[in-house]
Amino acid sequence: MTDAIVARGLGRRYLWRGGAQDALVDVNLRVPAGGLLGLIGRNGAGKTTFVRVASTQLLPTAGSVEVLGHDVVSEVGAVRGRIAVIPQESRPLYWLTPQELVAYYLRMRGGARRESEAKAKEALRELGLVPWAHTQVNRLSGGLRRRAMVAMVMASDAEVVFLDEPTTGLDPLARRSVWSAIRKAVSEHRTVVLTTHYLDEAEALSDRIALLEHGRILLEGTPREVAGRVRYPYRVAVESGFTEEELRSYGEVSRIGDRLLLFTHEPAARELTRKGLERGARISLGPVSLEDVFVQMVGKDFESDSAEEA
Amino acid sequence: MDRTSRARQIWSLVAMNGFVPMKRQPLYLVNTLTSPFSFLFFIAIVGGPAAIPFGVAGGMILTILSIGTSLQTDMTHYKQDLKLQDMVVASPMGAGIYVTGMALSEFVYAIPGMTVFAILSVLFGHYVFLGGVAVVVTLVLLWIFASALGFTLATYLADVRETFAVSPIISLALTVIPPVYYPITRWPAFLRPIAYIFPTTWAANLVQGALGISPSPLTLVQGVEDGLVLVATAAILFALAWAKAQWRER
Repeated sequence: MTDAIVARGLGRRYLWRGGAQDALVDVNLRVPAGGLLGLIGRNGAGKTTFVRVASTQLLPTAGSVEVLGHDVVSEVGAVRGRIAVIPQESRPLYWLTPQELVAYYLRMRGGARRESEAKAKEALRELGLVPWAHTQVNRLSGGLRRRAMVAMVMASDAEVVFLDEPTTGLDPLARRSVWSAIRKAVSEHRTVVLTTHYLDEAEALSDRIALLEHGRILLEGTPREVAGRVRYPYRVAVESGFTEEELRSYGEVSRIGDRLLLFTHEPAARELTRKGLERGARISLGPVSLEDVFVQMVGKDFESDSAEEA
Repeated sequence: MDRTSRARQIWSLVAMNGFVPMKRQPLYLVNTLTSPFSFLFFIAIVGGPAAIPFGVAGGMILTILSIGTSLQTDMTHYKQDLKLQDMVVASPMGAGIYVTGMALSEFVYAIPGMTVFAILSVLFGHYVFLGGVAVVVTLVLLWIFASALGFTLATYLADVRETFAVSPIISLALTVIPPVYYPITRWPAFLRPIAYIFPTTWAANLVQGALGISPSPLTLVQGVEDGLVLVATAAILFALAWAKAQWRER
């Protein structure tokens, strides 16, 4: 299988008067053609910077990226005709209807009017937007607007699609309709780069996952490989019945809000379950999820990250 | 990308940013008429009937220049708030097509004002031979100048609020201070060379000359000279926009 995206030693440094910040440091990534790469990480980890560099919006300061075999700096013209992007926090033009929004986007890419309108109709159907196809965007909810944005790139003929947090703010049902549109894009052998804060989303959709932290890739592989690289395969969430000190003898403990999260091996998990039942403790256990991997690798969860930033 | 596709790209922007919003919100039509007609009204009241042709000439120039300030605001909004420009950058549409399409879409808003001023210029002016051609060429060159200026500034502004600070300064520097709404003879003789720093002074020379209201009649040599300065100014600004505008961020 050929690679649609290859990043080699990629770096991006932002400079300003009296300071500098490395948003990407020595990033090496390969995204197979027709695959979906889920980019996860905290706010400011470098996900959006990677998308912006790979989608030709931002110049790298070190290393290189090739998209569909073309360098994004020296062969930018060959790349731009074959990619599409939904930037983070992008919003539609409020005076258009979703049907117009998608059709005009396709015509801006050089499409013929009738063909663009037909494709727009189809994309809106896939994303469950038919009832609002001819309603002006400013009368739609935030979730519907976001889905209309997704419809824009999904209706295009782009071979590589970059989706920067496309489901942020969507309700679970709306998220599912976006997921199904993304799955359809992958089934059509299009390559998708998805950044997301929802780890279940990355887990459900991605062929490969890369965890970014401070601009560096901490982990990269299939969801199973990523989960397999953590030290402990089981997680036990404890709400009562055990002290933090007691749990430490079983494995690695993190405090997440009022809960204690223990990462441990299977025999220890069984023993804790037995003890928990005897004590009437409130515990739950299972194999580690992507979120747990994140907690183990980064040392905190997404919520604590948000609290820190606030 | 072939010529047909490029034409489609440009037309899609003209429709999307020009005709559709104008159809949905007709107040835009009135809005574009307000500034040039406010000046015209003021000049007519203060200067009397003799000043009206100058107000008409200035109104034409201001209407075209307002394309640049609207372009600057729209492009900043599309880049910073809606992230539409990011979507366009990562697409087959090039910077030249985007700017051309957006500049033409802003021209759509200027059509009503230009139509009214064109009628007024016939009523109050005394067009010289080929004066109409001179006016059209001048306004086209100004449109290119204003669009290149608007695009370049938009790539550097971080927020739409900043355009609110920049636009009045541009209006002041290009339409209020230079002799656009009045003859250059109102400036003291020793200061007149300074007036020619402003490209709109050259444009006003041409338009006022074409309307037969200039203090000295427009000659072919002078017309060509004014026109060449405008071409050079538009070309320099266009080259600057090409080199310095940040289509892809550095």
